[in-house]
Order: sequence, then structure tokens, then C-alpha cells
Amino acid sequence: MNAETANGSYLEVANLVKYFGDDRAVDGISFGVPQGKFLTLLGPSGCGKTTTLMCIAGLHKPDAGDIRIGSNAVASVSRGEFMPPEKRDIGMVFQSYAIWPHMTVSQNVAYPLEIRKLDRSEIDDRVREAIRLVGLEDMAEKGATQLSGGQQQRAALARAIVSHPCLLLFDEPLSNLDLKLRERMRVELKRIQHEVGITSIYVTHDQAEALVMSDDIIVMSKGRIEQTGGPHAIYARPTNRYVSNFIGIANLLEGRVTRAGGDRGEIEVAQGESRLLAPCLLAEGLAEGDAAVLSVRPENIEAVKSKPSGPAVEGEVVQTVFLGNWLDCRVRWGEFEWKVQAHPREGLRTGDKVYVCLDPDHTLAVRP
Amino acid sequence: MTTEAAPSDIQVIRPSKWRGIFTQETIATSVASFIVAIAVILPLMALVVNSFLVLDDMGFDTEWGLANYSEIFKGRIIRKAFLNTLFISSMCTVLATFFGVSLAWINARTNCPWREKLEPFNLVPFFLSPFVGAIAWHNLASPKVGLLNNWARSLFGIQGHLFNVDNIFGIIWVTGIFFTPLVYLFVIGSLRRMDPSLEDSARTTGAGLWRTTMSVTLPLVTPAILSGAIIVFVTSAGEFGVPFKLGSPYGYETLTTQIFTKAVGDDANHYLGAAMSMILGVITGLFIWIQQRIIAPRAYTTVTGKGFRPNVIDLGRWKWAAFAYNLGYVFVAVALPILCLVIVSLHPVWQGRVIPNDLTSINYQKVLFFWSPNSISAATNGIKNSFILASIGASIAMLLAIVISYMIHRTKGFGSRILDFLCVVPIGFPGIVLAMGVLVTYIKTPIYATLWILLLGYITRFFPYGQRNISSIMLAVSEELDQSSRMAGATWVTTLRRITIPLLKPGIFAGWVLLFVIFLRELSISIILYTAGTETLSVGVYYLSNFENEPLTAALSVAQTVVLLLCVVIFRKVAGKEALTA
Ligand SMILES: Nc1ncnc2c1ncn2[C@@H]1O[C@H](COP(=O)(O)OP(=O)(O)O)[C@@H](O)[C@H]1O
Ligand SMILES: [Mg+2]
Repeated sequence: MNAETANGSYLEVANLVKYFGDDRAVDGISFGVPQGKFLTLLGPSGCGKTTTLMCIAGLHKPDAGDIRIGSNAVASVSRGEFMPPEKRDIGMVFQSYAIWPHMTVSQNVAYPLEIRKLDRSEIDDRVREAIRLVGLEDMAEKGATQLSGGQQQRAALARAIVSHPCLLLFDEPLSNLDLKLRERMRVELKRIQHEVGITSIYVTHDQAEALVMSDDIIVMSKGRIEQTGGPHAIYARPTNRYVSNFIGIANLLEGRVTRAGGDRGEIEVAQGESRLLAPCLLAEGLAEGDAAVLSVRPENIEAVKSKPSGPAVEGEVVQTVFLGNWLDCRVRWGEFEWKVQAHPREGLRTGDKVYVCLDPDHTLAVRP
Repeated sequence: MTTEAAPSDIQVIRPSKWRGIFTQETIATSVASFIVAIAVILPLMALVVNSFLVLDDMGFDTEWGLANYSEIFKGRIIRKAFLNTLFISSMCTVLATFFGVSLAWINARTNCPWREKLEPFNLVPFFLSPFVGAIAWHNLASPKVGLLNNWARSLFGIQGHLFNVDNIFGIIWVTGIFFTPLVYLFVIGSLRRMDPSLEDSARTTGAGLWRTTMSVTLPLVTPAILSGAIIVFVTSAGEFGVPFKLGSPYGYETLTTQIFTKAVGDDANHYLGAAMSMILGVITGLFIWIQQRIIAPRAYTTVTGKGFRPNVIDLGRWKWAAFAYNLGYVFVAVALPILCLVIVSLHPVWQGRVIPNDLTSINYQKVLFFWSPNSISAATNGIKNSFILASIGASIAMLLAIVISYMIHRTKGFGSRILDFLCVVPIGFPGIVLAMGVLVTYIKTPIYATLWILLLGYITRFFPYGQRNISSIMLAVSEELDQSSRMAGATWVTTLRRITIPLLKPGIFAGWVLLFVIFLRELSISIILYTAGTETLSVGVYYLSNFENEPLTAALSVAQTVVLLLCVVIFRKVAGKEALTA
């Protein structure tokens, strides 16, 4: 259980490729997860998250690449090695929960232990423990078909953790629940994972879920990794246009880097005659003269009526939506409309002339 | 912190290379596909090869040539038989489609009284033997000894006869009423699965009931009707028992009766038989191909998954007419034939009249009591052999069906598409055609003249029916149920045993009973492949009909019918009402 490489990964995926016919569902991705951590694969539907998970589980055979769990090389295409799924000691929760309808909850949960040929008394103890952990004590002898969606989900989780596997995989386990329940289960799931301390990989297309639950997030698109990092870094420092756009809301404007030094620099964007030279944080690898995209979140923009001292552009408020604690407004600048979260105190109205000014510490130049 | 994985530099434990290839899964599935490929392809290849071998005049040597085929189109008898087959099949299709569609509509869409009670009986002919139906109708409506004709003569003083089924129209009539359920099943399934809101929305636009039925309902079920019609055409073209009973003795031959005379008997010529089988097989195969690839994919899947009951149409006073019509169908297709057989079977000899003083059970003793000295061994052997073949055959076929369905729906490789195709092929060929192929393939091997060759023929021809049963359920059961068992540490075989099979259990059992029924009444394969000692139940009936008398034939027919009816009851118990329509 404790075998870790020098770089600290317990699970390691290297250059994984999986084809379906001629389509590359997974197109050469590599990552690692340290022991006990919670990693999320985040991306739109069809980007290859499930396929990646299935390759780790052993339910799909990769077409290229290596996968190692702890000290077991479970799949290596170049060496022609493949460990069948049942040998990998992984717990998995499926999107449909996959609770077997011909068994009760406790029979479902006991199954992995029966397969491992444990003593009956130990099986009973551990099943009770797992069912208690997920809070299904009252439902233990109910048939799987009598459970609600949320209860099935808990049962599936109990079944996944009961054998103390070395790895837990989740494939969009919350996507079939309604919003309220989903929000509660996020916290609950994270708590249980923390309590059992099993290294986990979680797949979702819901960014909020990813931000709330993960230690690390991998943003994927079209079978490739776009960015890897902690929730804060992914939100605050996206490195390319795709990630900026996918996570949260951002104002994105194409421009050019006019100054670069270390991780700070300046980006130029223009609308007709009007130009903005914005000091900003530079994404890794951007140099002076490179095409780049200005990315700034609505909450990091100020729209003020009097001309500020710093860099700013003049625009016109074209729409305001009052949302209680803030005012959602659109400010037209040439062809572009800035999305701005203004404080209601500013008292902006449609038709006002305002200056849009950007905070250099929260303005980013990202790769196109 | 997550990092890009560097090439790992610690000592890792590696799985064995070979384990990836020789898993339980790959071994079981390879074996199953190999068996299916051999069983299906070999007889068809042999058929093709043999059809181009021409027997010389002396009947000893063969040479390559097309003479067999030219014989089919030039020879007077065979050409006539070919045309008869086309005519009978077409007319039978028209008749069965008319009955099937009208009955399905009445049962699914109207307020016809007591339709829940009548509905199961509409399906009964599906489970019974058309050959036995022909025997019954011969006794009911042949010119001289037909019960109906005799009644007509004595009641109304009619001269000559009222009905005559000993001709092509008799064949069309009997096959038509017996294959009606094939259309009925397709259409009623489609009507039941249709989303009622499709019709409701037509109604809200102001279309009347009749208009809605014609412009929405009927177009939506057209693919189902076409599918049913094609299946009827193919089944009647391959039907042997009915034309054998009602046509051959009176000079009306069909391709199947001609193939039969070329397979066994005095002027046997396997090569010519193979060529005739090719012609029949190409026609039916083409139709099935059209049904599977062109029509079935166009069927509208309008399932909503809710347990709704679509609105029914109020027929007003006409509902009694609908009821009488449905009752009439059940009467002529089920009640009347069975009743007639029972009556005939109780007479020592049949003269077309009920003679109360003569009633006897001697016929039953002769065909059933294998221990009694005057029992007829063709009958008693047939009963024993058929039960052996049906139970073993159904079990093997279902086992194969499970593995094959698993491969098609869960493995999804290239091989699964080939298998999917191989499972359709036997459906395209009538039993008698496949049996001809099996005969020429295995005639020189030790399995010829044993029950094994019959078993092989049965399973090859009919395992796709079981496979379809399983496949439809497997499609409905999420693959994740299997996958989560693998993740829980269970091997492929354990998963199959503890998860997959229990989930499929109702389908497996229903499929088993269905195959048991099919095997228990099977005639056209058995008639080609049996030899003395390996008679089957239907071959026993054939033997009695040909070499003994009508009452003995009727007795064995009644015995077979009783067992088949029992199976219907069991099938409905285990499979539920909707099972066949899936
Ligand atoms: N069994 C399969 N056969 C063929 N194509 C597949 C299969 N599974 C997934 N794909 C394709 O691979 C791509 C990635 O799918 P998937 O990994 O399921 O995406 P995600 O889970 O991110 O929504 C999709 O384009 C999908 O259509
Ligand atoms: Mg997915």
C-alpha cells in the first residue's frame, strides 16, 4: 500500500491512449496521484474521462501507455502486460450506481468480501461498519429496488469501500441526483473518503463539484489534459483560454503580450481605436510579442463613473441585473461586452458612461 | 501535488503476459464463437458445393455442373413445385397479415369485450404444430371423411361436399391461421410500445379517431406489419408438414415436399436436393436480410417506459362483431382442430362420422404405452427421443445463447459483429434447408443415424431464438452491473454465475421453454435427419399418418398437443404476458 515513487505518486498513469475505432477517446495523458489524495478529472461530456477511468479499472484495455497502482504495474502496453480488473483491488462507484437488483443492500455490500472468502463473522462486522459509515442502517435488509437514488448511491459507496481497496474510482456518481441532494452528498462523500483515507479518482463535468471536493483537478478536453492543479490554482490561474472559459465565468479578449518579465507582464487588447494596455500575470511560456488572451473574472473588474488613475477603458452600461449582494452588469466597449460584478452601492444604471478598470493582480494573460 | 508522471524508477510487480490473453472470458467466448461458426457455416458450404455436383444417369458418379439448377427450372414437377411454393407463401402471407393486424388492433386498441381473456388464446397456434393442424383440418374438411362435410350432408342434405382442404387453398388456409400469431406478435408489441401522446396530439389537432388511426397509428406500425409479413412468407415457404399432408397426396407439390423426396426414399438425389435447398434458402435468406437490415432498423422505438395503458377506441355496437371475429379465429385455429382430433382419436377407424358405441382408448394405448406388446415403436420412440432432444437441446442452446449474447453486447470487438451476423443466418434458412446441409455434411461421419445429428440440426437452426431472448434483456440490464462485480474482485466466471445469470434468469427460463416447445414439435429437420430408431414425436405422427390410420395419428397428435399446451401455460407463468412481443 505504501509504495510511492520518488515523485510521490501512488497511482501513476503514463502516456495513456485509447482508441474506439479511429477515434482517440484518450489521447496520451499522464498524471499521478499521491497516496490518500482526491483527484478529479473534470471536462465536458465526451472528453474521455470515463474511458480514462475504465482503463485504470481494467474494464478497458489501453492501446498505449502504462498504469501503475502502488507497486503493481497493472497495465503496460509496450510490455504486453495487463492485470484483469478483479485483481486490481479497486472500489468503484458507477454513474448508475449499479446496485444489483436481485440482492438486498447488505448482500450487495457483502459481495466483495464473499469474493475474498472472508469469515462470515468478519464479513458481517465489516458490512455493518460500511453501512453505518454511509448512514444506511435502516435500509440494510431492503431490496435494492426499494431504495431512492440517494440511498442507492450510498449503498454503492458502501460496497466500494467495504473491502478497503487501495483505490476508489467514481464516475459522475452525483449526476443522477437532484440539486439539493447533490450538494449534500458532495460534502458527505468527501467526508467518507477522508475518513477511510483511500486514494480516489473522481470524474465529473460539474465544475462546482470539482472545486468543492478535490485536492487536485485535471481539466480535460478531447482526450487531452488542458491543465492540472489545485482548485484554487485552477480557478485563479488558468493557463489557457479553454480552462478560463470552462471554469467559472471570465471576460476573454484576444490580444498580444507587450511586455514580459518573470510571471508578470503587460497585455494589449483593442477595440477599434480604443486600446487597453493592462498589466497582468502571465501564463507560463508566454513571451513578449506572443498572441495571448486577456482573461479576467467579473468579480475582479471595477466599473466606476469617475476616471480612475490606473489603466482603464471607457464604455457604456447596456444591461444591469440586480442579484441582491451584487449587480450583474454588461458594459459595452466597441464590439465587446464586459461582464462586471459591480457593488450595488455604485448605483449604475443602463446608459451610464463608466470606466472599466482591471486589477493587475487578478488580470491574466493566458495561452490562446 | 500532482505531477506529470516520470518514468517510474522503483521496483514494481508486473502481471504475467499470458494472463492477459488466456483469460476465462477469452477462452469461453472463443470456444463459443468457434462452435457457432462451424455449426452454421459448414452445412451451408456443403450445400453450395453439393448443389453443383451432378449425378450421372447410373446414379453412381458425379461431376461438376449446373444441371441440378436447370432441372429445377425446366423439370416439369420441380418447376411446378417452385411456383406452388411462391403462390402458397404469398397467399398465406396475405391471409395471416390480415388476421394478425386486425386481431392485434382489436386487442390493443379497442374496447372489444373480454379481450384480456381472449388474448392468450390468439397466441396458442404459435406453440402448436402446423402439421397437426393440417391433420386436424384434413379430418374436418376433406371431401369424403371430413366431419364438417358429413354434417353438412346429413343436416342440410347437401350432395358432394361443402369444403375441401386437400388442395393448395387448404394449405393456404391452415398455414394462414397457424402463422397469424407471427404478425400478431409484431404488431401488438409495436402498438403497446407506442407512446399514446403521439395519438393524443393528433386528436388535439382535430383529427377524428378513424383519421388518427389511419394517419398516425397505422404508419407507425407499418414496419412491424412488414416484419411480421416477411417472417410469415419465409416460414410458410419452409413449411413441410402442411403441404405434405394436404398437397402431396393429391398432386400438389411444393419445394419442401420435393426436397424431402430427394433426401430420402427411392429416387433420393442429395445433389438435386441440395440445389433445391439452395433456391429456397436464397429466397428466404434474401427476405430475412431485407427484414433484418432494412425494415427492423426503421421500426419506430417510441417506448416511454411508463406502465401506461393507451386510450382505447369505443367501437359502439361493433364491439360485439369484433368479439365474434376474435372468438371465431380462436375457434377455427385452436378449438375446432383440437376437438376434431380428440373425436377422431377415440374411434377404431375413422369414417367421417361420430359413432358413440365404438369409442375406445385403444389408439392411445398403442401410441403411448411403450411397455404394451402392441405399441407402435415409431410413436413411443418418437416420444422418448423428442423429450431427450428437447430438454438437452434447449439447455445447450440456452448456454450457447448466454455466452454469445454476452459476447455481442459486452465484448463489442470485431468478433462480436461477426457473431451477430452468424446468429441471424440460421433464421434465414428454413429447417429443411439447413437439415439438407447437415445431412450432406455429416452423412459419412459416425454421428449420422444418431440422435446427435438431430441435436446438432436443432441447435444450429434454433439457438438464435434463445439468443434473441437473452439479448433483449441484456440490452436492458446495465453493463455497469457486471462491471461493478469485476471491480468487487470477482472473476468473469463468478460474475457470470452470481450477477449476470441471476439477472437474466426469467429470460433464460422463458427461452428454454420456448426452445423446448419448438424442439418438441419439430418436423422439417427431423424428417430429413431421422433414421429407424431416432424418430421424433412429429416423425412419429408422420409415420402413423403415412403407414397407419387417422385415429392413431390423431391420438399421437393429441398427446403432443397436450404437452405443448402445458408448455404454453408454463411459458406464460414464467415469462409474463409481454415476453414474446419483446
Ligand atoms: N464503448 C465505446 N465504443 C465506442 N466509442 C466510445 C465508447 N465509449 C466511449 N466512446 C467514445 O469515446 C469518447 C469519450 O467517451 P467517454 O470517456 O465516455 O467521455 P466522458 O466520460 O468524458 O463523457 C466519446 O466520443 C465517446 O463517444
Ligand atoms: Mg462519462
